[in-house]
Amino acid sequence: MLKVSREEILDGKFERVLNFFRSRSLWMLYYCTGCGAVELPPTMTSRFDMERFGIGPMATPRQADILLVTGYVSVKTLKRIVRSYEQMPEPKWVVGFGSCPVNGGIYWKSYATINQLDRYIPVDLSLNGCMPRPQAVIDGFVNLMEMIKKGEAVGYKKYRLNYEWYKRNQAEVLERTEPVLRPGIASVAKAQETKKKISIVEGVK
Amino acid sequence: MARKLRKLLAGVTVNERYGNRMELVTDGQRAVSTLVVLKSSGFEHLSNITCVDWIDENRMDVTYNLWSYTHRLHAVIKAQTHRDAPEVSTALDIWPQAQVYEREIHEMFGVEFTGNPDLSPLFLHNWRDIPPLRKDFDTEEYSRRAYGVVDGVEEAGV
Repeated sequence: MLKVSREEILDGKFERVLNFFRSRSLWMLYYCTGCGAVELPPTMTSRFDMERFGIGPMATPRQADILLVTGYVSVKTLKRIVRSYEQMPEPKWVVGFGSCPVNGGIYWKSYATINQLDRYIPVDLSLNGCMPRPQAVIDGFVNLMEMIKKGEAVGYKKYRLNYEWYKRNQAEVLERTEPVLRPGIASVAKAQETKKKISIVEGVK
Repeated sequence: MARKLRKLLAGVTVNERYGNRMELVTDGQRAVSTLVVLKSSGFEHLSNITCVDWIDENRMDVTYNLWSYTHRLHAVIKAQTHRDAPEVSTALDIWPQAQVYEREIHEMFGVEFTGNPDLSPLFLHNWRDIPPLRKDFDTEEYSRRAYGVVDGVEEAGV
């Protein structure tokens, strides 16, 4: 059993050692939201063989380290992504795959897809391209490993620190109560309704 | 076939098109009776139901695509409705699979299918605006206000 003193933990030495090992064994939860999923089979299988870097696919969020969001994210998907992300144990990292999670990509005008994933969950690394080739994916993962080793990939800490901000952004999209294009219509209608009710009550009196 | 249908369906325009296709133009009230007649004269298969928004003519066309296995004929039924209050009777009693299409069209275009017991939202999450596939819905403005603009997208002139 490895014993670590309090000083060492505070010093960050132990964390550095841990980070070294973490970067060598990454389990990836690939959330195939969009078209990006087609680039993953060649990345995983023998041609490009992701596993030589110690990255393997994982089936459940509870055992995964990386959440890979491949492609556009619709509002309904975002709800599931947030749920999966919150189920994952720390340390965890998010990789945005393709240009859609960065700025909406070709779907940025769409009413159904969000434009920037980073507003809702912290993205550690974005691979752009539409779609990124397996070489780009592997290059991105090597970069992520480097970042984890240096302790630069701190998305999960960001999420914990700015939890309210992220939650507010999520709620803004997921729990909408008013129309976006003509805000106030719902509240005006509601006010009229209550007014009507009040007048009915007064009429009864 | 077209001649036979013209005889059966008074007040419905029947146009022949490209050999094995025909187009029937009707209105919201007569749509279902037209479909009943067509089904009994050999058009067994409902391929799909769609909707076309003709904003300049202030019209909403609910379009049914039918296929006949016996006659090898394709029929398009366009039920023209008024755009401000689009209303068509449900085709649920003729083809049960119309349910999903009607729910979707109700959600995306706001067409009311009278007689359909379940027109609850199907695809959209917590939608509060006007139906998104209507032509007067500004999807770009919606995206901008709902999800924010990312720096650099505007300058790229997309």
